[in-house]
Amino acid sequence: MTDLRTRTEAAPAASVPSSTPSKRFGLSRWDAKYTPYLIIAPFFVVFGIFGLYPLVYTAWVSLHDWQLIDGNQGFVGFANYAELFGDAKFWNALFNTLSLFVLSTVPQLLAALGLAALLDRGLRGSAFWRAGVLLPNVISVAAVALVFAQFFGRDFGIVNFLLGLVGIDPIDWRAETWASHLAVSTMVMWRWTGYNALLYLAAMQSVPKDMYESATLDGASRWRMFWSITVPSIRPTILFTVVTSTIGGLQLFAEPALFDPGFAANNSTGGSDRQFQTLVLYMYEKGFRLFDAGYAATIAWMLFVVVLLVAIVNFSLTRRIAGKG
Amino acid sequence: MSRRLVGSVAATLVMVLAAGCGGSSEADGKVQLSLGLFSDFGYDKLIEEYQAAHPNIKIEQRKVKMEQHNTQLATQLAGGRGAADIVALEEGVVSQFRASKDKFVNLAEYGAKDLKSQWAGWKWNQGTADGGDFVLGLGTDMGSLGLCYRRDLFEAAGLPTDRTEVAKLWPTWADYSKVADQFTAKTPNVKFVDTGRNVYKAILDQTEEGYFAKDDSYIADKNDKVKTAFDTAAALGTKQQTGALEPFSQDWNVALKQGSFATTTCPAWALALIKAGAGDAAAGKWDVTTAPGGGGNWGGSFLAIPKQGKHPKEAYELAKWLTAPGQQKRIFKETGNLPSQPEVYRDPEVQATVNEYFNKAPVGKIFASSAESLKPTYRGTKDSKVGPVFGTALTRVEQGKQSAADAWTQALKEAQDAVK
Repeated sequence: MTDLRTRTEAAPAASVPSSTPSKRFGLSRWDAKYTPYLIIAPFFVVFGIFGLYPLVYTAWVSLHDWQLIDGNQGFVGFANYAELFGDAKFWNALFNTLSLFVLSTVPQLLAALGLAALLDRGLRGSAFWRAGVLLPNVISVAAVALVFAQFFGRDFGIVNFLLGLVGIDPIDWRAETWASHLAVSTMVMWRWTGYNALLYLAAMQSVPKDMYESATLDGASRWRMFWSITVPSIRPTILFTVVTSTIGGLQLFAEPALFDPGFAANNSTGGSDRQFQTLVLYMYEKGFRLFDAGYAATIAWMLFVVVLLVAIVNFSLTRRIAGKG
Repeated sequence: MSRRLVGSVAATLVMVLAAGCGGSSEADGKVQLSLGLFSDFGYDKLIEEYQAAHPNIKIEQRKVKMEQHNTQLATQLAGGRGAADIVALEEGVVSQFRASKDKFVNLAEYGAKDLKSQWAGWKWNQGTADGGDFVLGLGTDMGSLGLCYRRDLFEAAGLPTDRTEVAKLWPTWADYSKVADQFTAKTPNVKFVDTGRNVYKAILDQTEEGYFAKDDSYIADKNDKVKTAFDTAAALGTKQQTGALEPFSQDWNVALKQGSFATTTCPAWALALIKAGAGDAAAGKWDVTTAPGGGGNWGGSFLAIPKQGKHPKEAYELAKWLTAPGQQKRIFKETGNLPSQPEVYRDPEVQATVNEYFNKAPVGKIFASSAESLKPTYRGTKDSKVGPVFGTALTRVEQGKQSAADAWTQALKEAQDAVK
């Protein structure tokens, strides 16, 4: 359509004998045609350098016996992948990653939804509250992890102290699988709930108010309005947060890494028996502690596939659920 | 308008591309040398002095945490750029980097072999490869072993507190375990030792061969010494006489402050860490004595020069100066890092050094005599990959997740995977 119009406008200009306008129109045609591409080009150039190239190169590395310092030791085909599928540590890391993802993302998004609904109700000093929920997200992850690691300390942690007040024995948060997953998930939730709540809030504010008014006239409860009007109306935002949380959640690294005191001694395996070793932590162990870059690249690619799969599943699932209203 | 737009887009592109390939430039014609270090080498004053004596040289120190240092260095060596002109290699990883020695300058080319007699023989050997033909690094400090204990907690448990008396309690590690039993019987709420892992490491560091035989073959599965060390440490863990702490972690610091354990293995460099963790309130409560089983070495570093640096000659001169006896003595006085050169640790002034914080313990004498009697462990190329496996196994025992036997079996299996 645009193209068509440009051509019809340019046609009479060509018949004018003067050279100056024709040159100018020629440039403007070139301009209209290529400038948009030029403007978005930097993104693709940067993506090509920092996104696509590493992706392809990683795939290449994963097909080799590749040592971090000494480099390529020869082509091995899919041997790394074959080893990976038989590697109990890989499946353990995959289980941990998925478990941590579910434990942190589901409550996180539900809490964010509730928080956004509260913030949407016109509280006094709304700017303060809105800025407040984002605060955990701006604090550096290392600081958050340091504080939470102390909260969940075995001997002198505040969580165990509070549990002790209600008569529960102290828990060794790093020793048990479920306890460590709970602790790490808490960190993730703390960081990301507010951020997602703000995204939901922005979407909620664009929901037409007359829909609520007519629903109120029909005698619908607040709860009913929330699930029948608000949630379906902000569906695109929910889809967006589900996909981004999936990507972020499956690439979990800093929180479990810093939760493990062994990380400082460079022997971090995510717990004494890999209780909370995620895929990225396992990749780090293989690549940067054991210097097996080929195997680490293989894990990276499998992680890419897993993220892709889970994101697709979540996307279609959420679309169906949110669509039903 | 449109032309300007195209122009600015192009300029942005150029900027983006150019940003990707920055490089270091030499300022005001001076030779710039960078030093890649971790923790405290005590070089601040020495560097100022060196710069004053060599006006054409400008030195920059880069200090990061040790684990980060090692990972960074590995990627910098792999990428062929970014490494400091002089890098510190810790004893635990030097064997790993020795396997990639072609990325480093052979210091023998600059005459390093002439300096050999400065160092204790084993220290020199750790920094070389190819039977001594390839000199990878020049030794800085070393970590000869002592044992630190809390006097007040020993007194409460009815044990002697004088350091010579305490030393007599534990000529061997088996005796040490017996003392642990006596201690726990009297004061069951205090842990006897911070972590079984360090006990294990200390015992292993007193043997000549650990995970690897001197021909670099893997022997952890048949070396009785490894099993004995593991069993000794695991027994302490099973009896819950250890704090199950990650050494030198935040939890470890808190436990020090709370006084919740009574002994810890301490190489010379650990004194500063204990003092920092326990704080002024515990001054005079901690003391140092000789470790069970004689001397051993844990830690200490080397200065090496990556090939990618632009000024290997100048870097070598600086490394040589920093590791020379005169400088090692000064560093010892300032930081307590133990010199790795007999001439220095036998120096009367070094021998006479006492540590006020540790109840005026004669640390110079204790660590120097430990250095005299030590038999350094041979570190295999893959030592740093195998070691942590046994450490986490002990943690599983301490956490009550596994029996000592199960933890041992799993560790052997994981170690096998790590060396293949």
